[in-house]
Amino acid sequence: MSDALLQSLLNGIASGGVYALVALGYTLIFSVLGVINFAQGALFSLGGYLTYLLMGGRIGVNGALPGGMLPVAMPFWLALPLAAVLSGLVALVVERIAFAPLRRRQAEPLLSLITSLGAGVVLVNLLQILMGAEGYAFPASALASLPVSLAIGAARIRTLQLLLLLVCALAVLALTLWLDHSRSGRALRAVAEDATTARLLGINSDRMVRLAFWISGVLAGLGGGLIGVSVSLAGPYFGMAFGLKGLAVLVLGGLGSVPGAIAGGLLMGLVEAFVPSALSGWRDAVAFAILFVVLLLRPDGLLGRRAVEKV
Amino acid sequence: MIDHALLVQMLLGALLGLSVYLPLAAGQLSLATPAFYAIGGTLAALVSTRFPQLVGAGTGLNGADAAAFPLHALLLEMLLAGLLCGGLALALGRPVLRLRGIYLAIATIALVEIVRVAILNLPFTGGAVGIFGIPQVFATASGYLLPALGLLLLAGWGLQHLETRPLGLAMAAIRDDELAARCLGIHTLRVKLTAFVLSAVLAGSTGALAAHVFNTWNARQGSFDASVTTLAFVILGGSRTWLGPVFGGLLLTALPELLRPVGDARLVLFGLVILLGPLLVPQGLITPALLERIGRWRWSTGGKP
Amino acid sequence: MPSLDSTAAQLTLQPAQNLERLERLERLERLEQRRRGALRLAAVLAAGLGGLVLLGQRNDPASATLHPDQPLTIGAVIALTGNANLYGQDQRLGLALARRWFQGQAAATPCGRPAVLRLEDGASDEASAMAAFNLQINRGAIALIGPTLSQQAFAADPIAQRRGVPVVAPSNTAKGIPQIGRFISRVSAQSSVIAPLSVAEALRRDPSIRRVAVFYAQDDAYSTAETAIFQQALSARGLAPVSIQRTQLADNDFQTPITAALQQRPDLVVISAQAVDGGNLIRQLRELGYRGQIVVGNGLNTPNIYPICQRYCDGILIAQAYSPELASPINQAFVRLYHQGHPDQAPSQITAQAWTAYQVLAEAIERLQRRNGFHQRTLAQARRLLNDELLAGRYDTPLGPIRFRADGEVVQGRFYVAQVQMQADGRRGRFTLVRDIDLDPSPAPDRRRP
Repeated sequence: MSDALLQSLLNGIASGGVYALVALGYTLIFSVLGVINFAQGALFSLGGYLTYLLMGGRIGVNGALPGGMLPVAMPFWLALPLAAVLSGLVALVVERIAFAPLRRRQAEPLLSLITSLGAGVVLVNLLQILMGAEGYAFPASALASLPVSLAIGAARIRTLQLLLLLVCALAVLALTLWLDHSRSGRALRAVAEDATTARLLGINSDRMVRLAFWISGVLAGLGGGLIGVSVSLAGPYFGMAFGLKGLAVLVLGGLGSVPGAIAGGLLMGLVEAFVPSALSGWRDAVAFAILFVVLLLRPDGLLGRRAVEKV
Repeated sequence: MIDHALLVQMLLGALLGLSVYLPLAAGQLSLATPAFYAIGGTLAALVSTRFPQLVGAGTGLNGADAAAFPLHALLLEMLLAGLLCGGLALALGRPVLRLRGIYLAIATIALVEIVRVAILNLPFTGGAVGIFGIPQVFATASGYLLPALGLLLLAGWGLQHLETRPLGLAMAAIRDDELAARCLGIHTLRVKLTAFVLSAVLAGSTGALAAHVFNTWNARQGSFDASVTTLAFVILGGSRTWLGPVFGGLLLTALPELLRPVGDARLVLFGLVILLGPLLVPQGLITPALLERIGRWRWSTGGKP
Repeated sequence: MPSLDSTAAQLTLQPAQNLERLERLERLERLEQRRRGALRLAAVLAAGLGGLVLLGQRNDPASATLHPDQPLTIGAVIALTGNANLYGQDQRLGLALARRWFQGQAAATPCGRPAVLRLEDGASDEASAMAAFNLQINRGAIALIGPTLSQQAFAADPIAQRRGVPVVAPSNTAKGIPQIGRFISRVSAQSSVIAPLSVAEALRRDPSIRRVAVFYAQDDAYSTAETAIFQQALSARGLAPVSIQRTQLADNDFQTPITAALQQRPDLVVISAQAVDGGNLIRQLRELGYRGQIVVGNGLNTPNIYPICQRYCDGILIAQAYSPELASPINQAFVRLYHQGHPDQAPSQITAQAWTAYQVLAEAIERLQRRNGFHQRTLAQARRLLNDELLAGRYDTPLGPIRFRADGEVVQGRFYVAQVQMQADGRRGRFTLVRDIDLDPSPAPDRRRP
C-alpha cells in the first residue's frame, strides 16, 4: 500500500469515527420517535464546554464571569464521562420541553424540528453569553505522558486523534452490545420497531423515549469533549457544524439504523480524506454530493429499512 | 421602530416563507429554498455588475452612489432568475421528489450546501467576499418596497386562486393522503413537481431582488441556517394557508430587530420564541379555522350569523 | 356559489340524499368562508403594511440643526452575536477603553458638546448590519464605526454613503471598502502592505528555503485576500508553492490537509486564517511532525491563539499592523488601560484598531469643536464637515502615526515583524518584536497637511 493511500485511509477513519458518533445520537432518537433532534449540535458544544470546565478551565475575558472557574480540576478521564452524563441530563430537559408536549398532543412531527432548533439556539446563545465567543483549548497536560503523534508505516496520526477514534469505537461497541443484549436495550428496540405492540407487551414507551434522549445526549457530550481535547473548542457554534455533518451521515447510513450510522460515518470520513488537495475547497460539497447521489439511487440510505414515514 | 429598510427585509422574509410553503402545501418538506434564493441572487449580482446590457441597462454604472439601474432591468433580472431556478428545479425535481419526508428534507439541505460551496469556489462569484457594488435601482430603501410588495401581491393572488383550482385541490389532496390522491387519478409527481418549480421560481426572483437590496451578494446568503429559519416562518405562521407563511416571515424577520432593547440576550429570546411558538400555537398563528371564523363575520351584526 | 335556495329546495324533494348533500353543502360553505376570511385578513394585512410604510417615513434627523447642549453620538455597529462575535467582543473592549480614555481627556479640558458612544449589535450577517446602520443613522448618529466583517460592510456602507454619514471601518480589510464612497474610510490596513514583510523575514533567516506550503481559510474574506498577497510575495522571490490547501473557518481537524501538504516536504509553511482555526492548524502541524518555519497572517495577530496552539505557538513569525510593544505614549496609555481589566494579557490588533477608529473620530470632532465648526449647522452638514475633517487629519494612535488618503484608505507607516514566544507553562506568551519597519517615513505632521 502506498504511503499516501495509507495516510488517507487513516485520516478518513479518524474523522469518520466522530461523524459516526454524532449520527448515532440522531439515529437513536429517530428510531424511537421518527423525528430529528436539531438541538444535537448544541449538545455537542455543551459537552465540550462542560468537559473544559470540569477540568478546571477558566472562563475567558468575554464571558459573563470573566476568569471564573469551577472549584474542581478533574483529570480528563473523569471529566469526560461526567460531562457526557450532564449533557445527557440536558438532553432530557430538551426532550421534556421541546418534544414531550408535542408527543402528548400527537402534533405533526414537523413541529419538533422547529422546537428542537429553538432549544439549540437557546443553548448555544446561553453558552456564548456565559463563556464568550473565544476558542478554548484544554490544558496541554491533559495527556502529557503520551507522544504527540505515532507513525504507522510512513503515515502519521496524532495520538489524540487515535484516542478519539478508540473512545468512539468503544462507545459504539458498548451501545450495540447494550441494544442487542440488555433488557432495556431490547425494550428500546421494540419501541423503535413498533411502539403500539411494545406498549401491549408492557414496555413503558415514554421511559424508552427518555432513555434514547439521555443516551443521545451522552453521545453528543462525549463527542464534544473528545473534539475539545483533540483540537479545541472553537466557540459555542462549533457543535453546529458537526450537527450538520452528522445529519448527512444519518441519512447516508439509513435513518434509524445503528450499523448504517457507523458505516455512513466512516464512508463520509473516507470520501473527504480522498478529495485531492487541488479540490480541497470543494470538500464539504463532495460529502453532500455523495449523500445526494446515494439518496437518489437508494432512497432509504445505504443500510436503511423501508422508509418510515413519520415526518 | 420599523423603518422602510427593515420592512423590505420583512417582505423578503414573507416571500421566502411562501417559497417553503408551496411544496409543503403538496405535502413535500423541501428545504431547497435558500439554494434557489442564492442562485437567483448570484445571477442578479453577476448580470448587474458585469453584463448590465443583457437586461437593457447602460454600462459604466457606479455601484453605490448612482441610483441609475433602471427598474425594468431589475424586473427582467427577477424574471431571468425565476426562469433559471425554475429550469433547475424542473431538472432536479423529478429524481428528488421521489424521496419522501425527512429524506427529501435532507436531500434538499444537501443541495443548499452544494450550492453554497459552489458559489464559494466558482471562479466568477468573488469567493468569500462575494460580489459587491451591485448597482441600485432606487436612491433609498423605500423604493424597494414597490417591487417587493408587488411580488408578494402577485404570489398571494396566485396562491389564493390556486386554492379553488384543480392544481391547488390536487396539492391539498396529496398533502392529506398521497396514496388516496393517486387512486383518485391525480398525477401526483406532476403536481409535486409543479409546486417545487413554482417554489424555486419564487425563491429565485426573491434572491434577484435581495441582491439589489443588500448591495452585495456572497455564498453566506444561502445556508443551512437559512433553510431552518425559513421553515420556522411557515411553521410559526401556519402551514395550512398561504397567509400563514406571510405572517410568519414578516414577524420572524422583524423579531430580532424588535428585540434589540434586550441587548445581548436577544438571540436567546428569539430561540425561546421558536421553541415555544409551536407548543403554544401548534397549528401556527393563521389557521384555516381562523380564516373561517373571520369569513363568518357579518359587518351589520358584528357577530356570527 | 350556486344558488342556495334551489339546492335547499331540492333537499326537501329528495330526502334519501339529504345527508350527503348537506355535507357537501357544508364543505362548500366552509371553503367560501375560508376564502372570504383569507381575503379579509389579506386586506387587514395590506392595510397594516401600509400603516407601517407610513409610520416608517420618519422625519430624518439630518435636516435638524444641532443643539448646542446635545451630545454628539458616535454609533458603533459590531458583531455581538453570531460567528463573528469573536472579533466583536474584542472590538467592544477597544471601543469601551477608548471612550473611557477620551471622556477623561474631555473632562480635563472640556470643549463643546460631549461625544457619546452608542453600541448596536450588527450580528454576523448582512441584514442585521444593515438594520443596525439604519437604526443608528435614524437616531442621529454623527458618524459610525463598523461593521465587523467586510461582507457586511459591502451591504451596510452604501446605506451610510447614500445618507451622507461618515463610517470608519475598524476591521474591514477587503479590497474596495473605501471605494464604496467618500464617506467610507478605514483604519485597518490591507494585507497587501503587511504580509510580504514576514515572508521576507523568514527568507532572511533561512535563505535556503525552496519548498513552501500555503494554507488559507477560503470562506474568510480576509484570509483569501491575504493569501493572494503571500503567494505574490513568494513568486516575486521565485518560489512557487508546492502545495496549496484550502480550509474552512469552521474546520478544526486538519489531519487531511496537513498530511497532504507534508507529503511535499515543505520547509516553510504560510498560513492565512483566523485565530481559532489557525491556532489549531499550527498545533496539528507541529504534532504531525513539521519542524520548519511557520509564517502566519494578520488574522492570528491576537493573544487568543495562545490557548489554542499553546506551546506549539512558539516561534511562529507574523507581520503585524499593531504591536503592543510600540513605545509611544498613546499606545502605552492604551495598554495600561487594557491591563487594568486583563493583567496577564496584551491587547490584540483588533482591539487596538477599534480604539483607533474611536480615536480618529473623537479627535476630528474635538478639532472641529475648537473651531466652533458645528455652530448653527444641521446634522447633515455636521456629518459632511466631520468627514472632511477626519480625512484631513493626522493621528498618533496605538497603531503608530496614521493618516488617510483622499479616498479614505488608511496610510499607516509603522509595521512590525514579531515572533511568538511562549512561556514554559504553554499558557501565556507574547509577540516579541523582531523588526520595526517604517514604510511611510513622513515628515512632521503639519507639513503635509492639505
